[in-house]
Amino acid sequence: MSDPFSGYEQLAGPDEMFAPDGSPHPAYAAFAERLGAWSIEHIDGRQRRSEMDLLASGITFTVYQDEAEVDRIFPFSIIPRIVAHDEWRTIETGLQQRVKALNAFLHDVYHDQRCVTDGVIPGQVLFGAAAFNLRMVGFEPPQGVYTHIAGSDLIRDQHGEFRILEDNVRTPSGVSYVLENRRTMLEAVPELFPEGAVSPVTDYPEHLLEMLIEVRPEGVAAEEARIVILTPGSFNSAYFEHTFLAQQMGVDLVEGRDLIVHDQTVYLRATTGLERVDVIYKRVDDDFLDPLAFRPDSVLGVAGLADAYRAGKVTLANAMGVGVADDKVVYRFVPDFIRYYLGEEPILRNIDTLAAVLPEDLEEMCANLDQLVVKPAGESGGYGLVVGPQASAAELRATEERIRDNPRNWIAQPLQEFSSIPTLLDGALRARRADLRPFALTGADTWVLPGGLTRVALVEGSYVVNSSQGGGSKDTWVLRPPRASEE
Amino acid sequence: MLSRVAENLYWLGRDLERVENIARMAEVSHTVSVESGGVDGDQHAWDAVLAATGSLGLYNEAHKDDPQLTPAEFLLLSSANPNSLRRTLVVARALARELREQLSREVWEEINRIYLDVHATRTDFRDFRDGMHAFCDQVRSGVASILGLFDNTVLMDEGRDWFRCGVYLERADMTSRIVDAKYFVLLPSAQDIGGALDRSQWVAVLRSASAWQAFRMTHRGAITGPRVATMLVRGEQFPRSLYFCVRAFRRHFEAASDRTPAGQTIHVARELALLDLDLASVDEAALVRQGVHEFMDGFQARLIDVDRLLHEHIFRVLPSVA
Repeated sequence: MSDPFSGYEQLAGPDEMFAPDGSPHPAYAAFAERLGAWSIEHIDGRQRRSEMDLLASGITFTVYQDEAEVDRIFPFSIIPRIVAHDEWRTIETGLQQRVKALNAFLHDVYHDQRCVTDGVIPGQVLFGAAAFNLRMVGFEPPQGVYTHIAGSDLIRDQHGEFRILEDNVRTPSGVSYVLENRRTMLEAVPELFPEGAVSPVTDYPEHLLEMLIEVRPEGVAAEEARIVILTPGSFNSAYFEHTFLAQQMGVDLVEGRDLIVHDQTVYLRATTGLERVDVIYKRVDDDFLDPLAFRPDSVLGVAGLADAYRAGKVTLANAMGVGVADDKVVYRFVPDFIRYYLGEEPILRNIDTLAAVLPEDLEEMCANLDQLVVKPAGESGGYGLVVGPQASAAELRATEERIRDNPRNWIAQPLQEFSSIPTLLDGALRARRADLRPFALTGADTWVLPGGLTRVALVEGSYVVNSSQGGGSKDTWVLRPPRASEE
Repeated sequence: MLSRVAENLYWLGRDLERVENIARMAEVSHTVSVESGGVDGDQHAWDAVLAATGSLGLYNEAHKDDPQLTPAEFLLLSSANPNSLRRTLVVARALARELREQLSREVWEEINRIYLDVHATRTDFRDFRDGMHAFCDQVRSGVASILGLFDNTVLMDEGRDWFRCGVYLERADMTSRIVDAKYFVLLPSAQDIGGALDRSQWVAVLRSASAWQAFRMTHRGAITGPRVATMLVRGEQFPRSLYFCVRAFRRHFEAASDRTPAGQTIHVARELALLDLDLASVDEAALVRQGVHEFMDGFQARLIDVDRLLHEHIFRVLPSVA
């Protein structure tokens, strides 16, 4: 039988599965032994089975090819990311710490703004953030929570350390794939699971529902709280996730047109009449939330919703105006927030980041463009990214011009040789770079789902894992503590 | 339940039922035309089904531009025909996708499966005599599975009743169209009535409505137009008759709107009660007296009314704050 790992070449930067000498890391030992017993053809067969399963489940998006509609699955790879238990503890506590600091920062931003007067962050960065929302000033959200659902992206850097690449606190998506990827793995390759060693992820929706009930408006009984998910509609690329979470939590999935606001109270339009809504898990951008408050051309929103929210009659998760906290320029200052608000050192470090809005950073950035990854602050999904070492001289010149033109909009980071994971492509295992997005839920406390979305760059040599840029995903196994140390 | 969700479930029922009807009618037309090969019956068989699905005029137009275009291809696979099986299925699947959290995994996967199957069918029917039967059969059993799975895996709440309302309204409409197509499109000359062609066409009508065996189990003697039409209108035990479908619709409507304010339900309820009464009094003599075509025309107009009232007073109404 052919060894499936023969011919496997590691990339620069760490390999999640193998040590440089080719032996598996301890976290992968049991898995590697089982997978190693299979031929590459057999692995390929299982991979195909998992793809057929995803196609049948209709977890697909539609593309147009030669004028015909074709349904595609999001690329999925059956070799998981496996995270050792002690490493996971670091990620978990690091995220809890970070979420706490971000909430303290948001509260400060919308109240006293001590962070500006104390010089933690320049005022122009804060007030220049597109997501800064004047309507939130002086408003106290229930339980003081702004970022109910957060999903930060992590990478393992060249030295093997997990670091925060960016925070997502507006409407982080992908958790449905965490659950569906696990289900697919359990169906397609059950033999590869080390029995009882992988933390289950299926209870995420229950935690989410509990949290949403926890942050209900004052005066509403827990058992009577009416929760809904607000979606932009079935054409949204994350619509599957919206239906998935609605179904798993047993709550209504509503569009803007299903809701009306009367006397600062939100109702949904049911066949039985109007029914009061208490908590809205919103998957609609702030800009489209309420045509009276924000974009008047929006048909997605609910007139009067912002007003009802400020009156404390309905809870929005996440809060409005939280985008200030995941602005790419603000990101540079998050470690300082942790020190300033919590008096602690960050457990998870940032990637060293230059923000062009700071004059000294701007010069350093422009002098080293060919070694940096430059990102526009206002984009997500990997759009507008310039990878210095891979860009032409002309591209770099044009980039510098754009940066100097609008410094507030640009940040830069050294190119990270972040870690890769074996991925089955064209019938062979190849190393491909991957990041990790864990999800943190915050009500009275912060709970981190033991798992996450591992996104993988499928294109050879690529550093960009976003699905809009040809990325795929993997299951993420967080190992449980060894039994001996459990007491 | 959200009004929008109720409306979508109703339309999902309608569209799936229509898909099944198109497949069934196409199958019958196909066998009839193969059997009578090249004789007049050939084109007539397809004209009837094209008319019943509202595609006849569109087909004649499209056929002028592309003389090779077969009725089967136009009816089943064409993307240019808004009434084709494919287009109807695409709409149904989009609705199901929107409604996904309301459906059981089994129902959703079955809808998705027949959608993927039909999508994968690239063959045109110009030279496709074997595949035709398998294709229609696959679609029909797919829809049958969905209806069965709906009954066996989905919560029996108002959503399921709205879905069933859609199924029965569409079924009533399609049955009336199948009968009407025979009368109106295939209108034979007086001397043909009761002749061999006339009789074989009525058999085709019965088969198009899945009623051939049921007819034989309940009727002895000759197959005549009025007898067939009467059974398809009034057959109390036949699950595709107009009477049966209207009563089933009424039952599901009452269950679905049980908690809806009476001020809203009264409009549809009144219309259904009248329709029920009128159908109950129909017999063969009355049908012949009125004329089958005129009867079907009137019936279809009343279904359109029911559908309109349903949207106006239930699905799209803006309820007042209590």
